[in-house]
Amino acid sequence: MAYGAGLMPWYDGRDGMYSWIWRHLPGNGWVRALLSLVLITAVVYVLFQYVFPWAEPLLPFNDVTVDNQ
Amino acid sequence: MRSSVKGSGNVAATADDTEQHTDPASATPRAHRPRRMGPVAMVVSFFGELLITAGLVLGLFVAYSLWWTNVVADREAGQQADKVRDAWAGGPGNGGEGGGPASYDSKNGIGFLHVPAMTGDEILVEKGTSMKVLNDGVAGYYTDPVKATLPTSGKKGNFSLAAHRDGHGAKFHGIHKIREGDPIVFETKDKWYVYKTYAILPETSKYNVDVLGKIPEESGRKKAGHYITLTTCTPVYTSKYRYIVWGELVRTEKVDENRTPPAELR
Repeated sequence: MAYGAGLMPWYDGRDGMYSWIWRHLPGNGWVRALLSLVLITAVVYVLFQYVFPWAEPLLPFNDVTVDNQ
Repeated sequence: MRSSVKGSGNVAATADDTEQHTDPASATPRAHRPRRMGPVAMVVSFFGELLITAGLVLGLFVAYSLWWTNVVADREAGQQADKVRDAWAGGPGNGGEGGGPASYDSKNGIGFLHVPAMTGDEILVEKGTSMKVLNDGVAGYYTDPVKATLPTSGKKGNFSLAAHRDGHGAKFHGIHKIREGDPIVFETKDKWYVYKTYAILPETSKYNVDVLGKIPEESGRKKAGHYITLTTCTPVYTSKYRYIVWGELVRTEKVDENRTPPAELR
């Protein structure tokens, strides 16, 4: 009864996506740890460089001017 | 998604309904066989991971807003400030007549704001209050909805400025530390404009454009004069209201050879 196993390959009823990623990284523990760091860095880079600058003006935290609209 | 199945047999194996869990190919030698989850446990675990992920992303967004944008903006503002200083040093005043780029190129910034009560740093002032300008860690003078009167014009009016309270340099972060009587000094290529704070409006609507008026009546002044207005958002970390500080020109001072700051900044 693996619901969504086709949709989300990591949901094969054993564990979540993070351990799925971990299981699919090659090499021994140290290599996997290093690759995980690289993946995390890549994700943080994409967030800081593209996603957050795009999202920020849409959020009401940083409007400092007065205007009449 | 299908392609990920190729690498190991275990995913495909789960698609059929036989609960025979045999995937010797992918199992690591030390891994003992984990129990399979029921559908409820799977849904719970899926949302659990979603929540963890969302928490991490939000945490990163806070770090981005309050730390990283400051790093980027301070670097940008520093470079632009250097450009202005260089233009001033190499401009017509020092290196003979007519040499160097125009010192009042509005793109480069028109001068520096010094508010010792708020921050020990100088704040570059540029034209416009769009996010694009302000995100470089500078203060911008209003061009819209009410055009600021530049002190360099010599005319009576209101020199209205905006800057970020948090993130992107957070140049007006300490605006609440300004008290009545505190000096606000604007430095241009050849003049110091010394203003004195005379009124503070700690909270007003973001639609209150009257605060930018040539005669900001809410500050208590009824006559035309040389005013300066600082605007930013309040309370800190939000943009619900606006914080306004008004100052009035006390005197101007010529910049000397060593750019000796006026008494208020010493």
